[in-house]
Amino acid sequence: MANLHIPRWLLGMALVLLATLFAKNAYTVSIINLMATAALVAASMRFVMLIGETSFASAAFVGVGAYGAGVATTLLQWPFWMAMLIGPLVATVLSILFGVITLRVKGPYFMLIGFAFAEAARIIFSKTALIGGTSGMVGIFPPRELDAWLPSFVTLVVLLFLFLLYALEKSDFGKVLVAIRDNENIAKTVGINVLFFKVACFAIASFCAGMVGSLHAFVNNVISPGDFGYLLASFALAYVKVGGEGSLFGAVGGALILVVLGSFALGLGAGEQLFYGGAIVAAILLMPNGLHGVVLGLRQKYLRRERGAASQGVR
Amino acid sequence: MQTFLQLLITALQIGSVYVLFSLGLTLIFGVMRVVNFAHGHFFTISALLVSLIAPRVIDAGHSVVFSYLVAVAAGLVVTQLLAYVSYRYALRYFLRDMEGAFILTMGMSLLLDGVLLDVFGGTVRSVPEIISGNISVFGVLVTIQRMVLFFAAASVTVMLYWVMSATRIGKALRAVASDHEAAMLQGVPYTRLAMLGFMMAAVLAAVAGALIAPVTIVSPFIGADYLMKGFIAVVLGGLGSIPGAIVGALLIGLIESVGGYYFDSSTATLAIFGLVILVLLVWPKGVLGRG
Amino acid sequence: MADAPEILLQTSGLTRRFGGLLAVSDLNLDIRKGEILGLIGPNGAGKSTTFNLISGFMKPSSGTLQVFGKDCTGVNPTTISRMGLVRTFQHGSYMRSMTVRDNLLIGTVQGLAKAGAAARAKRVEETAEILGIAQFLDAVAGTLPHGIQRLVSIAIAFAARPRLLCLDEPLTGLNQTEVHSTLYVFRRIREEFDCTILLVEHNMKAVMAICDRIVVLHHGQQLATGTPAEVRQDDKVIEAYLGKRHAK
Repeated sequence: MANLHIPRWLLGMALVLLATLFAKNAYTVSIINLMATAALVAASMRFVMLIGETSFASAAFVGVGAYGAGVATTLLQWPFWMAMLIGPLVATVLSILFGVITLRVKGPYFMLIGFAFAEAARIIFSKTALIGGTSGMVGIFPPRELDAWLPSFVTLVVLLFLFLLYALEKSDFGKVLVAIRDNENIAKTVGINVLFFKVACFAIASFCAGMVGSLHAFVNNVISPGDFGYLLASFALAYVKVGGEGSLFGAVGGALILVVLGSFALGLGAGEQLFYGGAIVAAILLMPNGLHGVVLGLRQKYLRRERGAASQGVR
Repeated sequence: MQTFLQLLITALQIGSVYVLFSLGLTLIFGVMRVVNFAHGHFFTISALLVSLIAPRVIDAGHSVVFSYLVAVAAGLVVTQLLAYVSYRYALRYFLRDMEGAFILTMGMSLLLDGVLLDVFGGTVRSVPEIISGNISVFGVLVTIQRMVLFFAAASVTVMLYWVMSATRIGKALRAVASDHEAAMLQGVPYTRLAMLGFMMAAVLAAVAGALIAPVTIVSPFIGADYLMKGFIAVVLGGLGSIPGAIVGALLIGLIESVGGYYFDSSTATLAIFGLVILVLLVWPKGVLGRG
Repeated sequence: MADAPEILLQTSGLTRRFGGLLAVSDLNLDIRKGEILGLIGPNGAGKSTTFNLISGFMKPSSGTLQVFGKDCTGVNPTTISRMGLVRTFQHGSYMRSMTVRDNLLIGTVQGLAKAGAAARAKRVEETAEILGIAQFLDAVAGTLPHGIQRLVSIAIAFAARPRLLCLDEPLTGLNQTEVHSTLYVFRRIREEFDCTILLVEHNMKAVMAICDRIVVLHHGQQLATGTPAEVRQDDKVIEAYLGKRHAK
């Protein structure tokens, strides 16, 4: 059984949750919520990269998650727990249908299809009068008891999902995904149903994406189609690229950093596009492996110097 | 019958602009094996510059045609400059790296969106008609402006076809697209050709933008819709195939024309999307592609 | 009455065209249970194409393929693998970015899907022992010397405990000692694990030493089939390899 470092996880989660309890003013609360959802959307985007694909379709699934929460809460008056989960569940089913069809193609074709799908979803959202058309939906409130604890709740949910993705990646299932990315033919010849694993990976990531949408809906209380276009997926990609796709923590780190830096930049008047676009370009030109790669590189250098110094030793 | 002709002619007009887009995208893919997500911005910048400069030159007392040509020239110069800078300082490091280039160009696209918003503002503008009046084609009323657009696009397409098949440069580009290592062994300068291919593609998009400016409302975001349709056109026709790009683009034009008439434009877009999925199910590399 | 050997794989008139080129033409191959069959021939003879055809990675233009008694003409590689045929590839038949342990793990995943992670880990250890690569288990495959990478490729395939193991040039790049020990491993796999082996190889000495029967391909056609001794003396083979003068 792979070492999941559970004690470290528990400690980390406890510390993070503790920190969120100190958030009292509206600005901090909104930043925390934003950081949490950004972290999960980044992790979801990264999870699909385990099979070597970049999924722009995730934006559509975030939207489905959000609208699921909206419909369940405002139109169907479902209890909170059901409302929170229905969006991600529908997103997962949709993603399986989508994945079975489109995961047969790779690379640029898959990216383009995902991109078009996200835009098509946005169009469908804006044309459907039942869910508010171009105006979207309003009044998506979490239960009043949660109001005071909302950032901690959102953070907790996100942390649980992050751990789930981490555990899956470390398991034999995760290794099959990486093997498929590295050498699909070998996977085939040892009897692995490659499409099944690709779709499973995609479905899991889409469930997380749906959860992001659901949380987004309850946090912001209003949603509109424009929130869920390809721009959302572009932000997720920026988080992963800046943080480093080599590790889950890289992707999460990228999300946290960009959200914080982004809110500064936006405060100074720079546009969102300018900031995130610039971040992506800078990251990919200067740090292709993201901050995670930079940190690993520094550690290598440090270890080498240590070893060098040790070998020169004391005479 | 009348309706059919009307739809066909509209399809040709719409399609001819998409053709210029998809040709550029497929050319870039063929030579550099990458997809340029920022391609729409050559189009947008050209259209924006035309919409900005042409009225000013007209106001300065020059003829409409002259002003327009000056504006187009400005658009071409700026987009070529942008293409050169993008290639030399960024794209050239991602030749044949599909994922990296996609992400890079996506970032560039976002960045340019931000820049264009800042520089041009979100307001839309329009360009005065260059040639006014209508003529009747097979009983269908068409504005001369749009006729000119179609013929200009068609001539550029034909020119490109000629360049690709008959000139040395075209042959070199095709050699590189077909087997870049073999071409390099023969002494073909790959990176220089890649840059040339990229700049040619930028010209195509800029021309499209210049052509569309007089017949549409210009904003910093018009490129996005054309880009998506252009992508779908090349996916349908097959990345890397010039005939495929043309066929794909015309098909998209047809669907949009028919769909827009019987339903509305967003339904047409959805139909196009559905078609792409269907096509990729049967031909995972596009109908004529060699990805 | 002697027991007829069980036929694990049989092709009948198997042909594959690429445009005008006949890569494999009218191949009538049978692989008997428990044997080590060699497939030899000069470059371009159609060995790789044959491999792709019998493992399902390529569909034949005509002819039939029977694997473990079932018609598998045109069947996809995953299905054929699950029946018990596993193959390696001539180049890079492993996952560069993963450790040797994880590489072998992939071989076990399908067969031991329900057996649990511990059972899979155990199979990995056993397989590494047999192939003699246990000390490299935690190394990243891409960083290892070529010969070891070759052994890793074989190990991945063998970790799936196939009934028919098809190896594409497994001895390329191995030195004398490594060849010797690998041949020993092949014998062991055949004896202890009830595994039949099909081998494409250029190393003639090894082929002659280890194969029970040999099939010679030339220009996509089956030139000769028989024991090493028979094939060595076959006129057509001598002519193909050494030229007309040497043939009787």
